[in-house]
Amino acid sequence: MLLALTTLAAAAGGVPGLEPRLLPPDQAFRFSARALDAKTIEARFDVADGYYLYRDKLRFSAAAGGPALGAVTLPPGKRKKDQFFGDVETYRGSVVVKVPVAEGSTGQAVLFTADSQGCADAGICYPPNSQQVRVALPPPGGGPGPVVEATPARKGLFN
Amino acid sequence: MNETDSERPLPPKASNGLGKVPRWLIVALVGLLALIAGAYAARTTLAPSAGKDATALFAVTLPDLDGREQKLEQWRGKVLVVNFWATWCAPCREEMPQFIRSQAELGAKGLQFVGIAVDQADKAKQFAKEINLNYPTLVGGMDSLKLSSALGNDLMALPFTVVVGRDGNIVHTQLGPLKQAQFDAIVGKLI
Repeated sequence: MLLALTTLAAAAGGVPGLEPRLLPPDQAFRFSARALDAKTIEARFDVADGYYLYRDKLRFSAAAGGPALGAVTLPPGKRKKDQFFGDVETYRGSVVVKVPVAEGSTGQAVLFTADSQGCADAGICYPPNSQQVRVALPPPGGGPGPVVEATPARKGLFN
Repeated sequence: MNETDSERPLPPKASNGLGKVPRWLIVALVGLLALIAGAYAARTTLAPSAGKDATALFAVTLPDLDGREQKLEQWRGKVLVVNFWATWCAPCREEMPQFIRSQAELGAKGLQFVGIAVDQADKAKQFAKEINLNYPTLVGGMDSLKLSSALGNDLMALPFTVVVGRDGNIVHTQLGPLKQAQFDAIVGKLI
């Protein structure tokens, strides 16, 4: 029963008439984050099979009024030759990035945004996309918080 | 669709787990499934595309690569192929040389390609120059994705191509590359 529900929901999320069914960007590139400790946010993308993100289009930011974010070291991607852009790196599967947060922001809820851009192997690309999560930072010495998944304002079934 | 699954006897292991599920919940879930299936079916039939007249498209005015405003209306009466593209979209860039060839080959017979770049003007202009683009391209920015959405591009992804006949009716909309054989089959009938 649950399986049937899941299957149907997945089917409804795609676009009819296209083979293979294409996912909306927020489902193709699932974004989540959690506080690792008082000064680190762990950002994560789960990229669906058949889709990829561009490494050089990935950006993280905190909403105005929130803590400053430190420099991020992105993991290496898969190198690919692009006839127009030269060497580009892409991510498939899961991508985990540790984002340093300025100290003194503990106990705050950070409105954390990831900007990304990706494509499907089926031959389409999505425009640059912003996804947001609200991450609560633990007090100093505190451990990891819960994983927060982006709940996109994607087009629903009933509108 | 899958509603009948719930009628089948459940395997012993599963029935141990589901034995406590109240009957009303199962009924509610089946109802929900039907609702989702209904909405899905409605969505499929509502997808706009072929057969629709292109009035909304002809009404669009956007700047070209030199910043001059161009109205799509000026190409009414041609076999018009409007291609939404961007430099950040590799599959878009890959199919454009094919469009250039078709424009050169069939332009005299009334075929008119028009690009709409979902991009910054300078980037679009640089790329157009690089590939010797032989048809006009307008610059729409992200807003033009909404226009493409109204034409059936639900995902607002690229490339997206709309073929309009001489009579002003949309003959075909395509999300993803328009393969040469497909293009020949669609445009061949209109030229």
